Amino acid sequence: MKKIVSIFLIIVLTMGMAACTAQEEVQESTEDTKLKVGIIQIVENGAFEDMRNGFMARLEELGYTEDKIEFEYKNAQGDMTNLNSICQDMVNKEVDLIAAIATPAAQAIVNMESDIPVIFISLSNPVAAGVITEMESPDKNATGTSNAIPISEIFELSDKLTPGMETYGLIYNTGEVNSINTINNAKEYLDSRGLKYVETTVASSAEVQQAALALVDKVDAIFVPNDSVVQSAMAQVAEAAKEAGIPVYGSSAVMVDSGAFATISIDDVQIGAISADMADKVIQGTPISEIPAIVVSEFTTVINTKTADTIGIELSQEILDSAVLLDK
Amino acid sequence: MTLAIGSLQLGLIYGLMALGIYISFKLLDLPDLTADGSFTLGLAVSAVTTAAGHPIFGLAAAALAGSMAGSVTGFLQTKMKIHPILASIITMSGLYSINLFIMGASSNVSLIGSQTIFTLARSTFQGMDYNIIKSIIALSFCLVFWGLLALFFKTYLGLSIRATGNNADLVRSSSINVDAVKTVALAVSNGCIALSGAVIAQFQGYADISSGTGILVIGLASVIIGEVFMGHRSVTFGLLSAIVGSTIYRFIIALALSTSFFPAYGLKLVSAVIVGIALSIPAMKEHSEFRKAKREARKHA
Repeated sequence: MKKIVSIFLIIVLTMGMAACTAQEEVQESTEDTKLKVGIIQIVENGAFEDMRNGFMARLEELGYTEDKIEFEYKNAQGDMTNLNSICQDMVNKEVDLIAAIATPAAQAIVNMESDIPVIFISLSNPVAAGVITEMESPDKNATGTSNAIPISEIFELSDKLTPGMETYGLIYNTGEVNSINTINNAKEYLDSRGLKYVETTVASSAEVQQAALALVDKVDAIFVPNDSVVQSAMAQVAEAAKEAGIPVYGSSAVMVDSGAFATISIDDVQIGAISADMADKVIQGTPISEIPAIVVSEFTTVINTKTADTIGIELSQEILDSAVLLDK
Repeated sequence: MTLAIGSLQLGLIYGLMALGIYISFKLLDLPDLTADGSFTLGLAVSAVTTAAGHPIFGLAAAALAGSMAGSVTGFLQTKMKIHPILASIITMSGLYSINLFIMGASSNVSLIGSQTIFTLARSTFQGMDYNIIKSIIALSFCLVFWGLLALFFKTYLGLSIRATGNNADLVRSSSINVDAVKTVALAVSNGCIALSGAVIAQFQGYADISSGTGILVIGLASVIIGEVFMGHRSVTFGLLSAIVGSTIYRFIIALALSTSFFPAYGLKLVSAVIVGIALSIPAMKEHSEFRKAKREARKHA
């Protein structure tokens, strides 16, 4: 028995060590020919996947084809303890650039204080996250994109499509920085206009359906922030709202795709692409400190026509022409 | 080498958490789900106090907060007679809101640029490699708490905890207050878990509300892996094996991560398979010994 254990232990450790050192060797031999770009993601999620794909596709467009670039994509699969190991792995492999999607991933890699430049993708508030002191002058070897949700535009869209809404339902989970930021902005906006709101919070996607059912009777419309927990159960929110005949305004196209009525969204693919442009500058040799972080403000109106039919909302030709229409 | 040294550091820091799990799971014979909440509690308390400029006090405060969380679970299951697992679930879910409250209703507190125990040590021992400093800090935490706990479990109270885990009725009939003993054990256990979270927060430079998700599973895996590799002898040795198990677990994760052979979504499966193999070793051993014995028996027949 002792033997089996020690053999297993030896195998694990040597493989671990070998993996650590071998990668360094391999990297040295291909260093001249291939660029290595690491991508760190926290969890599988529609919006994050879009950002990653947008980032990768844009780099390819810019001429970094498969023979020139190698992506080292790692996903913590929702386990935060894996995030540190992933960052260590990236530093160990001496990748040339790291793209970090969402807040904790960016924080973990910036805190490693490696020499590898970091491009963060879609942080709701990079300054609060501590990865940059001022948006204009990156000082921690990291720059990238921020995705403040266009709150006033979304509620103005609501005024246009479904006028006369007085009470909005807000459904979100308290565990996400992005989501809380958006909700705070939304509440501020609604307060400033003297509109009422009812809040419901959930801790997991299993609670979403119940929360939505409880909410639909009390409100005229529902607003959902960029919240990955609610997003993963968006179909249930949409279903409950359809039954009650009220519109759901989301904050990403993915939500409208899952049955929400409409949104003005930052295109996740687009935000990935803009981040890729910044990555390109870094690769071309511009120092990170000279590439200001930006708040992406390219919006598209997205409307789900099937939901519109179900809850009986007529869309004018002008809106039909200007918006992206989904029929699901 | 960053990955190897980094895994060692993480393994040791999570080793503190494994010590806590060892106390509740092995000594008290009770899967304590408070862990998920108290680990995050440690991160939250440590992050908030560190951001305010008191990293060392933050560790002590976190450990204290963790023990309070443990005592609540203890109170619920002993005095309120709530099923132990349910009691720990209640505390865990309550802690979610408490943690958010501590972090100022924000789900994320950044410590990047703040003075932590690690940066403090770096400015004290200038010229030393930062990675070595981090490893030494992690190792000393483990050794100190291993030593303290080993001594603790030799005291009257410590022995009462171990006895309670073995046979609560016997302990009760010796007119020892079993309820108090259990509560103390849970407090010590969750204090360790929160301390681990506190060190992690300063190590990784942020606290996030979802940091504790699945911590119990990692802790259990660490404890069992440690036992598989080191066997079970004394409690002193068992506590050490929890730390070793945690380190091996981190190396397993690092191994799963560094192999680029599998797609990114395969991470959980790869680590599950490796942990599964590690845990099957005792059964495989038994099987092979049984066959060996059979062969021997046949030879003699």
